[in-house]
Amino acid sequence: MPHSTSAPRLGDLERVVMEHLWDAASLAGPAFGGATVRQVLARFEGEREIAYTTVMTVLDRLSKKDLVTRERDGRAWRYFPADTREALTAQTMRRTLDDMEVTDRRTALLHFLDGATNDELDDIKAALAEIEARAEGDPGTSSNTGRRSIIRRR
Amino acid sequence: MIPFVLAALAVLLVWVAPGLMARQKGFRRAPRSALWAWQAVAVGGILAALAAAPAALPLLVGDDDPMAHLWLVVPAVLVSALVVVRLLVAGHRVGTRLRRVRTDHRELVDIVAQHDQRMRILQHPTPTAYCIPGRQSRVVLSQGVLDALPPDQLEAVVAHEEAHLRGRHDLLLEFFSVVHSAVPEPLRSPPALGEVRLLVEALADRAAVRHSGELATARALMTLAGSQAPEAALGVGTTAPVRLRLLADGPPHPALSVIAYSYAAVTVTLPLVLLGLAWA
Repeated sequence: MPHSTSAPRLGDLERVVMEHLWDAASLAGPAFGGATVRQVLARFEGEREIAYTTVMTVLDRLSKKDLVTRERDGRAWRYFPADTREALTAQTMRRTLDDMEVTDRRTALLHFLDGATNDELDDIKAALAEIEARAEGDPGTSSNTGRRSIIRRR
Repeated sequence: MIPFVLAALAVLLVWVAPGLMARQKGFRRAPRSALWAWQAVAVGGILAALAAAPAALPLLVGDDDPMAHLWLVVPAVLVSALVVVRLLVAGHRVGTRLRRVRTDHRELVDIVAQHDQRMRILQHPTPTAYCIPGRQSRVVLSQGVLDALPPDQLEAVVAHEEAHLRGRHDLLLEFFSVVHSAVPEPLRSPPALGEVRLLVEALADRAAVRHSGELATARALMTLAGSQAPEAALGVGTTAPVRLRLLADGPPHPALSVIAYSYAAVTVTLPLVLLGLAWA
């Protein structure tokens, strides 16, 4: 469905809903009793028009992805983040390295580097020294930086 | 004679040539043309495998109408069809698996990471930088990388990842993964995939050098190589020392590219010429 805009929008909502659940959970501490669809919906009030069913769909998707858990509370569900944001971030980092078979993983995600052993570090240092020596001899090559500095420091 | 030559050529291009090419380390300095040579060898091998059986027909049928000898035509077509089917099945398997891994990962990153115009930032102290290729591609950096690198080196890293995405290097790697798994196990050449990966990295490094300069790129490689644990499961060395050596050695002799492109042209056209000769 190349023309559908609902997929990115839902993805965007998933993030906002997760952030809301994380915020609510950390605010309430261990006493956090989960959030209902209505409570999550209230979070969007005044910000954007979102239907009750949309929030329900988003929470349902999140629960299918095991990112939220839910408990029955009378006729409604109460939703909890399955993990803290930190834990999920750590899990994401691990997934870039562990979860797949090596061949697959290195084709699926293109990493800047695959690390280096201590022996290799010596070779690396030697090569870098050559490049640095050359750059000192020709200062023009080293000043070619920050041409497009859009990266914001945090 | 020609069908045997084609069969031998298929084995040569699929099995022997990749091993030999992986040893020609000088071509790493001309990664773009070297990658063309690698693709040409893969395509040439496939063409030779496809053409071998049809090339045998004129030999067996002589001057008769081939349609009068269906018991020969049908097996010949089937042999070629088998090659096509193996490729299609491998393409489907590899493609589906890669897309699923990338989609799952992208969705997770979109939820946990901070959003920036050009990238996603994972709040994690371990330095890492990668891209998720595909239609909705992402460049992902960890906070650890932002903390470890000064702005010019960070630019080099991002330029490297963006070069992967812009150049659709993922399609290149996917193509070689498909060919690799379509080839019968005893004829596979594992060094080929490793070498292609390295060439793709070298190509992206050159984009980083064009954007941020040689020094910033080399220093970024050095800093991150020192702060990451090597991937133990690989068996082959990591790419960092080779890539820094390539940066230090500078641009290649122009003849290298000429050789690689000529080699590519020959390997692709040879099977077709042989098939043409068989039918002439």
